[in-house]
Amino acid sequence: MTLFTVAWRYLQGRFLTSVLTTVSVGLGVGLVIATVLLTRGIREGFIEGATDYNLIVGAKGSQTQLVLNVIFRMDAPTPNIPVGVYENLRGDPRVEVAVPVAMGDAYQGFRYVATTEAYFSPFPWRRRAPALSAGRFFRSDAPGKPDYDAVLGADVARRTGLKLDDRFFEGEEMTAYPLTVVGVLRSTGSADDRAIFISLASYWEMNEISRKATVKPLTAVLVRLKRLSDLPALHRGWNIAPDIQAALPTAVLLSIFNLLSLVEDLLLIVLGVVVIVVGLYVFVTMYNAALERRREIATMRALGARRITILAIVLLESCAVAALGGLAGILGGHGAAYLGAHLLAGRGGPITHVFTVSALQPVTFGAVVVLGALAGLLPAVFAYRTEVAENLAPL
Amino acid sequence: MTPAGPAVTLRRVTKSFPIADGRQLPVLDVEHLELAAASCMVITGRSGSGKTTLLNLVAGVSVPTGGTIVVHGTEITALPESQRDRFRSEQIGYVFQTFNLLPAFSALENVMLAMMFARTIPRRQQRARASALLGRLGLGARLAHRPAQLSRGEQQRVAIARALANDPPLILADEPCSSLDASTAREVLAVFLAVCRGEGKALLIVSHDEVVLGTGDRLLDMADVNTPAGEGA
Repeated sequence: MTLFTVAWRYLQGRFLTSVLTTVSVGLGVGLVIATVLLTRGIREGFIEGATDYNLIVGAKGSQTQLVLNVIFRMDAPTPNIPVGVYENLRGDPRVEVAVPVAMGDAYQGFRYVATTEAYFSPFPWRRRAPALSAGRFFRSDAPGKPDYDAVLGADVARRTGLKLDDRFFEGEEMTAYPLTVVGVLRSTGSADDRAIFISLASYWEMNEISRKATVKPLTAVLVRLKRLSDLPALHRGWNIAPDIQAALPTAVLLSIFNLLSLVEDLLLIVLGVVVIVVGLYVFVTMYNAALERRREIATMRALGARRITILAIVLLESCAVAALGGLAGILGGHGAAYLGAHLLAGRGGPITHVFTVSALQPVTFGAVVVLGALAGLLPAVFAYRTEVAENLAPL
Repeated sequence: MTPAGPAVTLRRVTKSFPIADGRQLPVLDVEHLELAAASCMVITGRSGSGKTTLLNLVAGVSVPTGGTIVVHGTEITALPESQRDRFRSEQIGYVFQTFNLLPAFSALENVMLAMMFARTIPRRQQRARASALLGRLGLGARLAHRPAQLSRGEQQRVAIARALANDPPLILADEPCSSLDASTAREVLAVFLAVCRGEGKALLIVSHDEVVLGTGDRLLDMADVNTPAGEGA
């Protein structure tokens, strides 16, 4: 028999209280873990989505709106820009890649994104290029001769049930322009999962205004430069234009992160309160246990247990509850983060790399055990100071 | 092997408790008391006569206000608390009036607990020794039972096994039969005395139970031993 056996027997002896205390620790830890993983995943999602390209050129207005709409498909669409902007950028010797994007209507709530094959190209600087799980990418058709091919994001394929070679359209006015599924993308955990990609030619033909327009419209152009040193000049140059602006995704990211950090600070306060409440709960449980057990403590002392032995037993109990709750919380927190990420991604939120093994897990576990020891310290000292002769008599 | 010399010697031992206004209430004043090794002494007396206080002092769970207590050649009143705790765990077995078994532990574990505190029995032998002791006391089939699953007589036998767990030369018993009916008391006492005498233990029993009074080698009335002076400053 060891001190740990004694502590464990005591935990078993008050099974319901032990389970409830463990669950409360687990809930607190789970909340902390899930929050940290989700906020980190959202940051990563923003970084991954917005840092492949150096510039986003679109219509004058809010830069945040432009980036959120074009990259993350969030916020309201910005006004159109002429396709000439894209041609101009493509011809600029400072530009390595220019990718046109036109945001269109939606099918069952999933936005059409018209672009070129370049959108899917696995350039070496891309953090994660879209890849196919089935079929092929569409071809960049010549204007006026569209193939009406569509590549579906992973969520679109799953939620609509569309398969390769299926034809689809939404609304009577679109019956003349049915799209054919030619490919399905692998899930990337980004806004691409919820988009239907079509060629610019298809998009221009499907839309009545652009069909008749002599200058075809775009929403934005994603730009990757050959040299970063050209960025200030290009950025400044496009922002001089009266109707066009060039947004730096990294600058927009910083302002988004500033907003996020406010939310994170608030969450930190809430989590701090949760940790204190859980710590107090462990303390009250252990204190009551020590109070109820005065006679047993006196008996153990009369049998020869030293004060430090009694202190160790109570501390071991609170540490065991904290360790079990901590483990359950870490596992549960990962489960909650998985569900949260799934829900957020389902609503088009940028989130990725939720399950990264880092210092978070061991540090959290160690901190919980230390917190358990701290919560059990005062009850342990109370038990330590229990007077033997006074408490041996029948109650 | 029984140690040489008396098992317990008390010299001018006094004990008083603080009461209101900084005054002291004297409850014990024993000029001299000696328990011979391997003998059995029964001390009787009315309630509140200081019997349990005397046992607690001999066990070292209380400290006397004055005087010295020597147990098997060791002056326990001169020992610091941690050494007293160790000495008690190794040299003294204690049987309580209400058994004081720990409810969360089985009969076997209650006995092994005493061994864990003393560390005189190697850990690998503790389970076997506890089983053997309980077996000798007729509880071989009740090892895994918790106190609540045992009768009062069985509980007291577990308490006796626990007191004998570390093979101490001195056993103290505080009203060992007062929680038992007469026939169970006689039965338990017979087993208790047989085991203790068989192993040459010194026994100090305080009791006012008729069943116990005639069992010792010596019977003392607390009123003859204890002569507190009354309330003092």
